[in-house]
Amino acid sequence: MSGQALLLLQDLTGGPEILDWEWLRENFWEDIVPAIQGHIFLSFISVAIALAIALPVGILSARFRKIYPPVTAVTGILYSIPSLALFSILISLPGVALGPTPVIVALVAYSLLILIRNTVAGLDSVPPETIDAARGMGLTNRQILFRVELPLALPIIVAGIRIATVTIIGIATIGAYINGGGLGKLIFDGINRQFPTMIIAGAVLATVLAILADLLLLGLERYLRPWARARRA
Amino acid sequence: MIEFKAVSKTYPGSEKPVVNDLSFEVLDGEICVLVGPSGCGKTTSMRMINRLIEVTEGEILIDGDPNTAMSGTQLRRKIGYAIQQIGLFPHRTIADNIGTVPNLLGWDKSRIKTRVDELLDTVGLAPDDYRDRYPAELSGGQQQRVGVARALAADPPIMLMDEPFGAVDPITREGLQDEFLRIQQDIRKTIVFVTHDIDEAIKMGDKIAILKQGGVLAQYDTPANILAQPASEFVSSFVGGDRVLKRLSLTRVGEMDLEPANGDTDDLLRINEGLSVKDALSELIGSGYSRAVVEKDGDNRLLTFDAIEELMGGTSVEPSNGGGASA
Amino acid sequence: MISNILAVFTRPGFLTLLREHIVLSAVALLVAIAIALPVALMIRNTRLGAAIAINIGNVGRAVPSLAILALLLPFLGIGFATALVALAALAIPPILINASTGLREVDKGVIDAARGMGLSGNQILTGIQLPIAAPVIFAGIRTSAVQTVASATLATFIGAGGLGDLIVEGLQRSGPEILLAGAFSVALLAIFTEILFGVLERAFTPKGLKIAQKRQGR
Repeated sequence: MSGQALLLLQDLTGGPEILDWEWLRENFWEDIVPAIQGHIFLSFISVAIALAIALPVGILSARFRKIYPPVTAVTGILYSIPSLALFSILISLPGVALGPTPVIVALVAYSLLILIRNTVAGLDSVPPETIDAARGMGLTNRQILFRVELPLALPIIVAGIRIATVTIIGIATIGAYINGGGLGKLIFDGINRQFPTMIIAGAVLATVLAILADLLLLGLERYLRPWARARRA
Repeated sequence: MIEFKAVSKTYPGSEKPVVNDLSFEVLDGEICVLVGPSGCGKTTSMRMINRLIEVTEGEILIDGDPNTAMSGTQLRRKIGYAIQQIGLFPHRTIADNIGTVPNLLGWDKSRIKTRVDELLDTVGLAPDDYRDRYPAELSGGQQQRVGVARALAADPPIMLMDEPFGAVDPITREGLQDEFLRIQQDIRKTIVFVTHDIDEAIKMGDKIAILKQGGVLAQYDTPANILAQPASEFVSSFVGGDRVLKRLSLTRVGEMDLEPANGDTDDLLRINEGLSVKDALSELIGSGYSRAVVEKDGDNRLLTFDAIEELMGGTSVEPSNGGGASA
Repeated sequence: MISNILAVFTRPGFLTLLREHIVLSAVALLVAIAIALPVALMIRNTRLGAAIAINIGNVGRAVPSLAILALLLPFLGIGFATALVALAALAIPPILINASTGLREVDKGVIDAARGMGLSGNQILTGIQLPIAAPVIFAGIRTSAVQTVASATLATFIGAGGLGDLIVEGLQRSGPEILLAGAFSVALLAIFTEILFGVLERAFTPKGLKIAQKRQGR
C-alpha cells in the first residue's frame, strides 16, 4: 500500500466545505486556463499525429490485406496496455524525460488501433460497384482513392476519430502524473495538497471537455451521413 | 374451415381501417390465396388468423370456434407459419429448426427425429446431408424449403404462408411452387397463402380473394371464375389485360376434347399433352400453321385454333399472322 | 536489470497487490453486468428506452476514468468501496450499449417466425434473442473487462491498492525495476484478460452463428 498517499488522502475526507469558489475565481487564469489549454494541446497533437500515421497505414492495409492482421495485433497489444503502465515503460527508456513527450507518444500509440480499424472498415464499406464505375469512367487509382473511396469512407473514419479523441482526452488526464500537464495536473495537485476544489475542477472540466468533443464529432459524423439525415427528415 | 366474419382492423390513431369488413370462408383442404396491391391488408388479414395481430371488429372462426378461445401462443402451435424472410433460427441446426413446434408440444425425441427426416425428404433435401447443417450453409432456395418443412412439422391442419417463395429467383420459385402443389395433393391442408403476384395466385389457389386498398374484398372465387367473370373494373385490371390468355393457362392440352388426326401428320408441329393450353397456343402461333399434333393415349390428335376457341366458349382468338398458311 | 525486475515479483507484497487488483476489477465487472444486463433486457422492446440507454452509454464512455475516481474521492473517501463504485460505473456503458444493440438487432424475420410458430415471449427471449445476441453481448463484456483492469491501475491514487501501487512507488522512489515490474504486470494482466474473454466470447457464440460469420468473411 502506498503509505504516503494514504496518509495524505485521509485528511481529505474530513475537510471543510467541498468547493472553494474563491480559490477558483482567483486562480482561474493562473491554474485552470493553462490546464485546459495544455489538455487541448496534448489531445489535438496526439490525434493529429495518430491520424497522420493511421490513415496511410489503414489505406495500405485495406489494399494489401496480408499486413492487416499483424498491424491489428501490434496496435491491439499497445491498446491493451493500461495507460499508466505504458507511460511508465516509456519513461524508463533511456533519454526519455518526464513531460509531454512520452504522454503524446503513448496517446498516439493508443489510438492507432481504432483509427486503423475504422479506416479499413470505412474503405471496405465502399460498394465495389461504385469503384468499378469510377474505374470505367477512366479515373486512375489515385483519383479513385481521393475522390471516391475516402469521401465515402469518411463517416466511419470520423466515427473512429471520435472514439480516439475521447479516449485520448481521457488518458491525457493520467499523463499529468508524469508531468504531461493538462487538466490531470489539477487533479493530482489537488490530491497532493488535499484540496478537493482542485480535484473537482480538474475532474469536471476533463469530463466536460471529453463529452463536448464527443458530441461535436458525433454531430460531424451525422452530418457526413446524408442518408441517415434524410431518413430523419 | 376458417371463417372471417365482418373482420376489420384499424390501428389506434389511424382513421382508415387496413382491413374493412372482410367476410369469406376457406374450406377444408383448400388453398385460399389472398392477393392484391400494396396496402390491401392481405398480410394483416392472414396474421389475424393466428392472432399475431388482433382484430378490431368482427371475429375469425376456426372450425366453428372463435380463434380467441385459447391463448395466442397455444393457437399458433396448431397453425403452420411460413414467411417470406423465412426466419430460420441461425443458431440452431436444420433438424432443431424443423423440430421447434413438436418440441414445444412435447413430442418425444425419436418421434421428432422421424418426423424431421420425413419432412426433409418431402421437401427434397436428403436428411443425412441436411439434418445437422446450419442455416448459413444453405442456399436461399434450400432455406425456403426448410421453412416449409418447419411449418409442416407438427402436422397442423391449417397453414399460413406469406410469400413463402418470395425470397428466391423466379426459376427456383417455380420449382418450389410445383413441389408444394405436389405435396399439397398428398396432405390436403387448409392453407391461407398471401402473395402480390396474380400469376402465383392463379397457379396456387383453389380460391382467390382479391383485396383492394383499404382491405376491402373485391372478389372471392375460383381462379377460372375470376378470370372469366371479373366482378369489377378493379379486378379486371388487376388480373391483367391478358386475362383471356391467363384462363388458357388453367387447362392442359391433354385435358381438351380433341379430334383425332387423320392423314399425314409428319409436317406438323408436335405439342406435348402436358403443356398448358396457353403455352400450346403460343407455340401454335409461332409455328405459322393453324394446327398441331398432340399425342394422347397413344393416338394422334389435332390441336386447332377452333378447338381452343371452343374451349373458351366462343371467345374468338385471332392468330397474329392473319389466317396462317393453309392446312 | 531483468533479474531485478523479476525480484520484485517475489516480494511478499506483490501477490497481495495482484489479488487486490484482480478482486477490484472482477467485482466491479460483476456489478456492472448485474446492472447493465437487466436494464438492457427491460428496454429491449421499446425504441425510446433503447435510445436512452445508448445515449447514456455513449456519454458514459466519454468520461475519463481518472475523473470519476477523483470526483468520488471528496465525497466517498478513500479505499476499496470508492474505487469499486467508480470502476463499476465506468464498466457499465460498453455492456449496456452492446447488450442493448445486440438484442435489438436480432433479425426481425427470425423473431416473427418464432412468434408465429407459437413461442412465448420468454421462450423467444431465452431461446432465440439471448443466444443470437450472445456474441455481441460478450464483446461488450470483454471490452469492459479490459477497460476495468486498466482503470483499476488508477485505484492507487485513491488508496485502493492494486498493481498501480508498484508503479507509483517506482516513480516516487526512482526505482526503475519496481516501475517496470508494476508496468509489465499490469500490461500482462490486461492482455491476459483480453485473451481470456476472447476465449469466453468464442465459447458463447453458438456454432451456427460462427458459420454465418465465416461466410460473411469476418
